[in-house]
Amino acid sequence: MASHKITSVEQLHTYLHAAMMLEHGTIPPYLTALYSLHPGSNPDAFHVIRVVAVEEMLHLTLAANVMNAVGGSPDLTTPDFVPDYPTYLPDGETDFEVSRQGFSRECVETFLNIERPGEAPHEDARLISRKNDRGQHLCGSHVESEMRFWSIGEFYEEVRRGIDYLHEEMGDALFSGDPARQAGPEYYYSGGGTLIAVTDLKSARAAMRLIAEQGEGLRGAIYDAEHELSHYYRFEQLLRGRYYQRGDEHGKPTGPTLDVDWDAVYPVKQDATIDDFPEGSELRAAGVQFNQRYAEFLALLTRAYGGSPELLIDAVVEMFRLRDRIGQLMRVPIPGADGVNGAPTFEVSRVPGRVES
Amino acid sequence: MIFPEGSTRRTDHKAASETVYDAVIVGAGISGAIIANELSRAGKRVLVLEAGPGEDMDIPGYDDYLSRFYEAASKDNQSPFASNDSAPMPRSTDVRRIRPGHPDASAYFVQNGPFATDTTYTRALGGTTLHWEGKTLRMLPEDFELQTRYGQGRDWPVSYDELEPHYRHAEREIGVSADVEDQAYLGISFKPGYVYPMRGLPLSYLDKVVAKGVDGTKVALGGEEYELKVRPFPQGRNGIPNPGYDGGKGYRPVGAVSTNQVEEGGRCQGNNNCVPLCPVQAKYNALKTLAKALQTGRVDILPQTVASKVNIDPGNGRVTEIEYKTYPEVNSKEYTTGTVRGRIFVLSANAIENARLMLASGLTSTSGLVGRNLMDHAYLLAWGLLPEVAGTFRGTICTGGICDLRGGTFRGEQAGFAIDIHNDGWGWAMGSPYTDLVNIVDDHNKFGADLRRELIARISHQLQLAFMVEVLPNASNRVAVDASFKDQLDNMRPVITYNIPDYSMRGVAYARQTSRRIFQRTGAEDYTMYDPTDYGYATYDGQGYVIRGGNHLGGTHLMGTTPRNSVVDSHQRAWDHENLYLVGGGSMPSIGTSNITLTLAALCFRSASHMITQLRHDTAPAEVAAG
Repeated sequence: MASHKITSVEQLHTYLHAAMMLEHGTIPPYLTALYSLHPGSNPDAFHVIRVVAVEEMLHLTLAANVMNAVGGSPDLTTPDFVPDYPTYLPDGETDFEVSRQGFSRECVETFLNIERPGEAPHEDARLISRKNDRGQHLCGSHVESEMRFWSIGEFYEEVRRGIDYLHEEMGDALFSGDPARQAGPEYYYSGGGTLIAVTDLKSARAAMRLIAEQGEGLRGAIYDAEHELSHYYRFEQLLRGRYYQRGDEHGKPTGPTLDVDWDAVYPVKQDATIDDFPEGSELRAAGVQFNQRYAEFLALLTRAYGGSPELLIDAVVEMFRLRDRIGQLMRVPIPGADGVNGAPTFEVSRVPGRVES
Repeated sequence: MIFPEGSTRRTDHKAASETVYDAVIVGAGISGAIIANELSRAGKRVLVLEAGPGEDMDIPGYDDYLSRFYEAASKDNQSPFASNDSAPMPRSTDVRRIRPGHPDASAYFVQNGPFATDTTYTRALGGTTLHWEGKTLRMLPEDFELQTRYGQGRDWPVSYDELEPHYRHAEREIGVSADVEDQAYLGISFKPGYVYPMRGLPLSYLDKVVAKGVDGTKVALGGEEYELKVRPFPQGRNGIPNPGYDGGKGYRPVGAVSTNQVEEGGRCQGNNNCVPLCPVQAKYNALKTLAKALQTGRVDILPQTVASKVNIDPGNGRVTEIEYKTYPEVNSKEYTTGTVRGRIFVLSANAIENARLMLASGLTSTSGLVGRNLMDHAYLLAWGLLPEVAGTFRGTICTGGICDLRGGTFRGEQAGFAIDIHNDGWGWAMGSPYTDLVNIVDDHNKFGADLRRELIARISHQLQLAFMVEVLPNASNRVAVDASFKDQLDNMRPVITYNIPDYSMRGVAYARQTSRRIFQRTGAEDYTMYDPTDYGYATYDGQGYVIRGGNHLGGTHLMGTTPRNSVVDSHQRAWDHENLYLVGGGSMPSIGTSNITLTLAALCFRSASHMITQLRHDTAPAEVAAG
């Protein structure tokens, strides 16, 4: 199975671009669920989803840092950067589809699938044939196009091995990127995790470890090395109606109880596309406008990751604006759709002309 | 920051009454929280009594505060908090103009006047820091020696230099965002190499518009010339951590408080309602310190427990126990009484409640000064419309202002002041933007896009300046109690007698003059109007002004050098009661021109080390209490 390994810097760049697509790819589903909650209701669910979404943004930026460190150019404006939903993610031997949908039990189950810890049972099982795939797969192998990884964890394991391998081959020449392109810790913080400026093997490993562990936990543990509850277990709390606390075992949270109101949710259209909104309707105009703004936002991030990290501050302001636009779309029933509301469609590929970064 | 689940229910009154704690603390605001945290980390057993309702603080609970604020018609400081007649709070909306000889007893405060104060404090876990604005100015070195330098007010028994290390503790605890180079003025000095925990928050666009007109303006006062400059304020809200903090170790900001792990409370988002409540807990509140204290496992807390009497041993003056009244639910008239015991006792219920409790216990002190010298900043507002769109209503409530007239030789004659540039426009003076909205809809018949345009056009030019004018200690400004005025738990209510001294009114008059100068320099049209029927109307030298309270309460148990000139010593220990500390703004002999929280927090750090030393050396009280 040696052939699928990352053996060149170009291949590593391809993988890191895929990593950024993967991290970003979870954000539209998370934001759709998050903002489908009626404002002021469901504070527990709101905060659980919000923190995961924010950390995916951290992971995206960490992946961009690694890309910059190894001489690549993060580009969030490539035509296929935002997947068409539903899109595939691996879950061991089978795949599951990730949709943009309103908050529900089914939606949380999907999130659990996304964040599920997944170590292949043996070395040869890390890659699986994707002959049954119907479309884009966010964890495909970028060396062997017919294969995809067992799990997100195995995908990142491949990146980690690739970095180690290339560093052995090339030494510190691998980290040829301009350190001024790194987004440092001053540009992000939440309660857990931090932005790591990547300049050498040690910091690259740390960044990759943070990306992998924050989602799935530390090799099966519910808390990661930062003492932070992993995403999988955060979501699981919503189904179990109880929070985890330090010292808990998986499946047995003993912290405070929490309440979820599964009905205090806007009935948003699942995997909405612009075509779901009637020609000439205000909803359609707002949906088109959202996609335009989202494309511009990805272009702004591309500039930020392309040597102007200070633009990440501007990006914060833009994220507030996007939030408000998402809220507007979700409050409006689709004309003729019998009580189903609009939603942002994230169809950046349909924005006329490429938005230049 | 994890608030240990069950902390507020873990301790019952019976168990607490059977324990002799190392320290009993009255009040779970910033002072009480700091002292509880410091003592418990030194291994001491601590009991905290909180008069207000006390649920474990989690995100849904905090969101309840937010929802109440969002839904309230009045957006005053107390709007997030349910009214609670069992432990009532003063509220600005309750204040009425006082007719001479007719005290107003219609709300919690019994106001004798002649000036009606709308000052407030909050009786809840976390105290008034829930609605504080978060400005964290240090006092000026000259503020500590006002009498010596200018023949006014009182000197402090501690100097700026002695307090400086404790300022640094307080800045760490609160998590202050500021840059030393902006804050080193009028003699304020820092330990060499010091940086604040987080980098300064930027000036708002409005600040910059004002700065364009004002920077470099020279004013002559008391024979000296002062040059005005808009500078950023230090803020108790999360910004960008400074990697150079703590000798290069950096600083980890403290996020939202909850019983489960949340990652809220990161960076300030520029929401415009820091007062009365930061929606994301980027602004410090004392729940963050309280949660830390509770995590030690050595701090018990009894909410809905109002301290009602401090009992002393008449032989030696030591406090033997504190009586309390506990009520089963908010607004209940029912209560049961009990007592709690400790080796030391700490009153940290703010300047008015500390004095009220002492006086209700018949403890007036040798000096007779308990309750006297009540101080609060006198705020004068001035408002106008700028000729250009200034982006008003963006950013936190206040990011910048003018500090050049905080100190100087003119203080021999008149009060100094700091000037706030309000990013919330005419909010404080006129109720903007809500009043603008009602006016545009009701009186101008605008709706839809026209309404949006008109509202934005109107508020984005607004400029409101708030002059925070110093008020000196004056023995006739006081808190008293009177058995004919009680709350529904039969606790005596504070009776407030208060007037703005001429020294401050001279500062107010000069502030108004300065506002005209600033409006002139910025090209703003002056819309300031002081309504003679307003409860805060006060005249000086033939001119009328409206004065607002600052919620910066001090002086009622001020510190000094002897039992005859003060209530507490420089460690905030009562001269008359060697195991009793009265802490907070009440200990401050003057309040200068800085919002008092940072300074009172620094004093509490200083006192906490003194308490730990006292507990180490002093074994007697346990026996007294056990007897």
